[in-house]
Amino acid sequence: MTDIQSLREKIKSNDAGDATGVAEEDLLRANFYGLLTSALLAPPSAEILEIFKGLDGDESPLGMAMSSLGELARTTKPEDIEDEFTRLFYGHGAGGELHPYASFYLTGFIYDKPLAQLREELRGLGLSRSGVTSEPEDHIAFLMNVMHELIVGVQGAAMSLNAQNTFFDKHIAPWAPKFFEDLEMAENAEFFRPVGTIGRVLMEIEHEAFTIAA
Amino acid sequence: MSKQKTEQNDDKAVKSRRAFLKGAGVASVAAAISVVATDEAEAKSEETQKTSGYRETDHVKAYYEAAKF
Repeated sequence: MTDIQSLREKIKSNDAGDATGVAEEDLLRANFYGLLTSALLAPPSAEILEIFKGLDGDESPLGMAMSSLGELARTTKPEDIEDEFTRLFYGHGAGGELHPYASFYLTGFIYDKPLAQLREELRGLGLSRSGVTSEPEDHIAFLMNVMHELIVGVQGAAMSLNAQNTFFDKHIAPWAPKFFEDLEMAENAEFFRPVGTIGRVLMEIEHEAFTIAA
Repeated sequence: MSKQKTEQNDDKAVKSRRAFLKGAGVASVAAAISVVATDEAEAKSEETQKTSGYRETDHVKAYYEAAKF
């Protein structure tokens, strides 16, 4: 079996039936968005850490960051990862080291105009918060999840590459690369440093790939 | 430009994009992170039955639940 065939089989077996018709390279992109969502939404659960432990990659910048994340997941204590997440994003009273919100990056304030604009757009797309968390929609993990949704679709409604590009340019490109860079450089980041790298590199790849397709 | 020609150009763009994405390392780690996608798919089909009208971002919910947030 060729590599491509085995890759196809793999994707097929992971397909719950509603991603039919999504090209394999797009499913792979969606996986990266899923990975970033699961890493940044909340302190990763034991289940998610188990998945991270299996990560490995090639010599590409993305592959090396994946290897690094896998290695850290295997060697870092879960409670240390949770502490690090708290120091990075929650803090103690005064907030964490980083503020992973579009509004904060674009205006210096959370819950500002960019959030309102995003909410309006999400209404148009038929996407809303699940209500399980109090984080606003412009949280980085929520936006990564939206990209995942736009690629694979909920109930089979994947959006065109053009629509993905529009959303990306408007709500992610203006600030997410800077956020991921900040995460890579954050004083408190150890386990989350390769997550920052994966995010930064994915943003670069996505920008380039949208340009090719346009 | 004729319709046929536009389609040919589109096809070419799709192929270059595909080649670029694979070259950039997106395919190199497919096996490992596809596990994440499987988990999501399971959470999704469960959620789909409950959802009407507004679509929820099911994975966000699933991840929060998994993280006991």
